[in-house]
Amino acid sequence: MSVRDLKGSGRHWVLAGCLAWLAFSLFPLYWVAITSFKSPVDVVGGPTYLPFVDFQPTLTAWRDLFSGIRGEFFSNFWSSTIVALSSAVIATTIGSMAAYSLVRFTFRVRLLSGVAFFVIAMGGYLLGRDVFGVSPALASIVSFCLALALSIFVNRFRLPGPVLGNDDIVFWFVSQRLFPPIVVAFALFLLYTEMGKFGFRMTDTYFGLTLAYVAFSLPIVIWLMRDFIASLPLDVEEAAMVDNVPTWRIFFGIVLPMSKPGLIATFVITLAFVWNEFLFALFLTNSKWQTLPILVAGQNSQRGDEWWAISAAALVAIIPMVLIAGLLGRMMRSGLLTGAVK
Amino acid sequence: MTREDPVKHFFLWPAVLVVLAIAIFPLIFSLANSFMSLRLVPPIPARFVGFDNYIKLLGDERFWQVVRTTSLIAFTSVALQFVLGFSIALALVKKVKGADFFRVTFLLPMLVTPVAVALVAKQILNPTMGPLNQITSFFGFSNLPYLTDANWALGSLIAVEIWQWTPFIILLLLAGLQGLPDDVYEAAELENASPWQQFWGITFPMMLPISAAVVFIRIVESFKIIDTVFVMTGGGPGISTETLSLFAYQEGFKKFNLGYTSALSFVFLFVVLIMSLIYLAILKPYLEKYK
Repeated sequence: MSVRDLKGSGRHWVLAGCLAWLAFSLFPLYWVAITSFKSPVDVVGGPTYLPFVDFQPTLTAWRDLFSGIRGEFFSNFWSSTIVALSSAVIATTIGSMAAYSLVRFTFRVRLLSGVAFFVIAMGGYLLGRDVFGVSPALASIVSFCLALALSIFVNRFRLPGPVLGNDDIVFWFVSQRLFPPIVVAFALFLLYTEMGKFGFRMTDTYFGLTLAYVAFSLPIVIWLMRDFIASLPLDVEEAAMVDNVPTWRIFFGIVLPMSKPGLIATFVITLAFVWNEFLFALFLTNSKWQTLPILVAGQNSQRGDEWWAISAAALVAIIPMVLIAGLLGRMMRSGLLTGAVK
Repeated sequence: MTREDPVKHFFLWPAVLVVLAIAIFPLIFSLANSFMSLRLVPPIPARFVGFDNYIKLLGDERFWQVVRTTSLIAFTSVALQFVLGFSIALALVKKVKGADFFRVTFLLPMLVTPVAVALVAKQILNPTMGPLNQITSFFGFSNLPYLTDANWALGSLIAVEIWQWTPFIILLLLAGLQGLPDDVYEAAELENASPWQQFWGITFPMMLPISAAVVFIRIVESFKIIDTVFVMTGGGPGISTETLSLFAYQEGFKKFNLGYTSALSFVFLFVVLIMSLIYLAILKPYLEKYK
């Protein structure tokens, strides 16, 4: 019992408040769960609350869902699963690699070379398209590569202006979260479409969607993993360095296993983010790789008031996340996420 | 400690390349488009128009309406989320009975797919068949227009946001509260400081930096809101619940007016940036005071 614990009669009021919040939090989930077992008559006849007492549960909605008459349910479920798992794995891997290098090594980027990238990329694109008359896809690929190569080259010189260090690079990554995704979603859709005309199909493909999700999960991954890795003890790594173990083996053999709890937490958070994501899936897919949130949102306009069907579809999207919440809750109890907050 | 090894570039570059190609380059591409008159339907050749799109946008009454709606939803819901989230986190850290159980279950809403949440909310808020209507009918108000009247619809959206995102605030503030040192409270106890004084004198100031960060994250995220609105009201009735992201989506995908949409996205980005700067400027003296 610490000094900060509650004392006296206040405890009951606080408990009552928590219970009220619990009811508020759980009621919608309870409601969607029971609605998926209702028959149409029980839905239209007004609200009913208790299975077997108020209404007789049926499996109709679930049978309809699994038999596939409610749209391409299985296909959506699989594309959601595959895309979420692989983008979470890829983002966690390359994100923690980046986080590791940002913790253990020094990087110097001159602000001017960043500006150079911006100017060359935009100018090259405009020039290529309007002056030389090449297709937008070609113009953007060429200007992107050119801008990248030139800005790396320029970075070698002693340019005037501020030099950015590791913290600024981390800030650069994290600041991506500030941008409204719609800004990029449209442009990405256009770029993907142009790529399609050029021969690489990007819209509605596994590759295109996963790539977008990896890019938008990376800021969170780097932000979380940087703190985890920075809190690891250094002596093991130093001992390995004395034995001349190459850096990539130190990373994969020592650092990653040591930061396993952090990796799991980051992976789970990324997985949840990608699984629930709506905007990019809406823009970048249309049939084959459509994900569950799109299917669920589509139920709304297609089915009107067929709540039993809508609820079953919504539950399929919700249940995996409920399992993940349990996992996250357990990790939080062990104090795992405390480090990530600083 | 830092050391030198050329292999560091192989560790950093994959992440940088992906972000550059998928997040930064489209941004530049979009900025270039915002100075063009670009339409897909009917397809007209792109033409450089300078700031025309921006001027047209800033004169658009609908745009300002949308900015007001989005700010209203974001600020109101985050303020309420913060108050609720802080109280609940305090209750949990003060070991209310069953704290361990609450801690896990309170997290749930945060992880539920927003479009699914919106669909469930639509059922609960249904003016004739929903459970909420049954409760309000008991008090004599039946068939309230939860999603069809402008003010009620805004309120409903804010309620859904609160339901979904208060857990995020609880999660982070709880971690912060657990990190506060006990000895300050022991000293306060010796001085006979009341719980109320302890909260305003110790807990709140010490939690200010993390609170500021959490509120900031939530406001920035709330400004992006689209999926809940898309499903629950579709921006209606009329355009009274249309948010910035939804407006951009409508302009781009219904009217295919891409130059205009790109300009809109950039003004949106600019609004978020300005807002962040103002927020940080207001907060800075307080943060330094309690450092």
